Amino acid sequence: MPAKAGKRPAKAPAPSPGLASALAPSVTLPLRFVLTGVLSLVAGLVLLAARPDILASYHYNQYVVAATHLFVLGFICTIVMGAMYQLVPVALETRLFSERLARWQFVFHVIGVAGMVWMFWRWDLKQVGHFGSVVGVGVALFAYNLGRTLRRVPHWNLVATGITSALGWLSAAVLAGLAVAAAKCTYESAETLPSTNPLWAALKALQGTANFVNRFDALGVMHAHAHLGVVGFFVMMIVAVSYKLAPMFLLSEIQNERRARLGLWLLNAALTGLFFTITLRSPWQAAFALLTAAGVGVYLVEMRAIVRARKRRTIDWGLRYFLTALGLLGFLAVLGVVLALPVLPATEFTAQLETVYGFLGIVGVVSFTILGFLYKIVPFIVWYHSYSRQVGRHKVPSLADLYSERLQVIGYWLFLIGLTVAATGAATLREAVVRVGILLLLASLGVFAANLAKMLRHFLRPQLAPLVPARQPELKTP
Amino acid sequence: MNPLNESTLRDALRAVVDPEIGLNIVDLGLVYSAAVRDGVASVTMTLTTQGCPMHESLVEGVRTVLLGLPGVTDAEVEVVWDPPWHPSMISESAKAGLGIA
Repeated sequence: MPAKAGKRPAKAPAPSPGLASALAPSVTLPLRFVLTGVLSLVAGLVLLAARPDILASYHYNQYVVAATHLFVLGFICTIVMGAMYQLVPVALETRLFSERLARWQFVFHVIGVAGMVWMFWRWDLKQVGHFGSVVGVGVALFAYNLGRTLRRVPHWNLVATGITSALGWLSAAVLAGLAVAAAKCTYESAETLPSTNPLWAALKALQGTANFVNRFDALGVMHAHAHLGVVGFFVMMIVAVSYKLAPMFLLSEIQNERRARLGLWLLNAALTGLFFTITLRSPWQAAFALLTAAGVGVYLVEMRAIVRARKRRTIDWGLRYFLTALGLLGFLAVLGVVLALPVLPATEFTAQLETVYGFLGIVGVVSFTILGFLYKIVPFIVWYHSYSRQVGRHKVPSLADLYSERLQVIGYWLFLIGLTVAATGAATLREAVVRVGILLLLASLGVFAANLAKMLRHFLRPQLAPLVPARQPELKTP
Repeated sequence: MNPLNESTLRDALRAVVDPEIGLNIVDLGLVYSAAVRDGVASVTMTLTTQGCPMHESLVEGVRTVLLGLPGVTDAEVEVVWDPPWHPSMISESAKAGLGIA
């Protein structure tokens, strides 16, 4: 249906209801998530630089678990949630169900994650459960808010299906995580409390959950929970969102809708099988790891076709961050199959490969993707706030003008080299090497922070120039 | 003063640049038609994709430019999705800049 706009005085153009960018939430909502996420990443990397033994040791200890949750919940989840509040309404042509709910979710999320990481570090699992429940309330608000938003999507498509799947996996990951925490607690008071006490039923339910979860191998349950979160929520979200954003930024289009859909459903099917087989430590996990790799492979083939069909010659560095992350994703999908093979001997090296697999998944694939897309999302938010009303009145900068490409390139190489060095140190149990790698990652983040400051400066000092009507095509490709 | 016709309107609309692509909307092929009748400028345009985050900004920019032209008393901007935009609609000179054969 065409959208018509007209008959409004030139001096005071107001946002047109129903138009796409008018659907975006207020600028402060996604930005508070983004800034909190970046701060968590800094905190996580400082922690790893101070304690490189966290990476250069087997991953089943309180410090690794605390650091992992700082990265996964504090950095990645926070940024993904903020980005979803911004992108879902715009990309799917609807309006966020409730900004107020999103602001409350932010409060629950920050308190819950901070407390949870702290209590993991102290290995006080009862408090982990309490703070985890606060995170759970936040996640429930997030899923409810986005679920209600998705219900209003006028044109249901692949992207909406992928985001819905990711929300389902996020909910499953949180429930599994809470069940794991419950299994590590004791419930003596359930025996002493009278059954009339309202807490008695809750304690009995937790005790029942603990008894059930403790039937399974603790490490298997933890790995299954991690796969639900990282592959189910993050990778699925990357797949879904990139089907919209990659063609948009590359001036391309999905090349084979059936192939794109197949990749998504293979991942969903594989994750279901992975969860059960990893929990049960069944040799069948190799088959589902292979199915996951097949899903990733089909997705990567489609992405390659999209990139090849692009009409923009230049691939900007934001997208190069993302494409590098996809290369890593392919590598990790294969490594995942190798690690799942029942014939793989359990040695110190193969155990460290599991740490490398998790590290490259979280800090490599997901963080690289996030940094790349932040170079798209943050400039857009800033530009929209500072310049969208000035189009046609003044010469406004392009999105690429808001940051330094040189810094972006330096940040890319620092991140890639840092990642490689830290992973090598983790695989070979060398703390000094891990520290060097993490310091390089921190340097990369410092460069990103400098670029972020350049972008945010446009909030305070918009750079407007007199409008000169262009008679010749502008050939700039950012 | 140039007479107001499709050509002068298109020239004026080159001031509206897609900030992501860095190309003005006329050479990007987003403007399907432009006309003036009795002081009312009408533009029919599209966007590179439905759900384009720059939708509102570009439409408002087009209207602002039109209303800034001498002799234009009102402006109507209609966004249509049929025919859908395709990169082949980019002007020849801009295609060369973007590296499209």
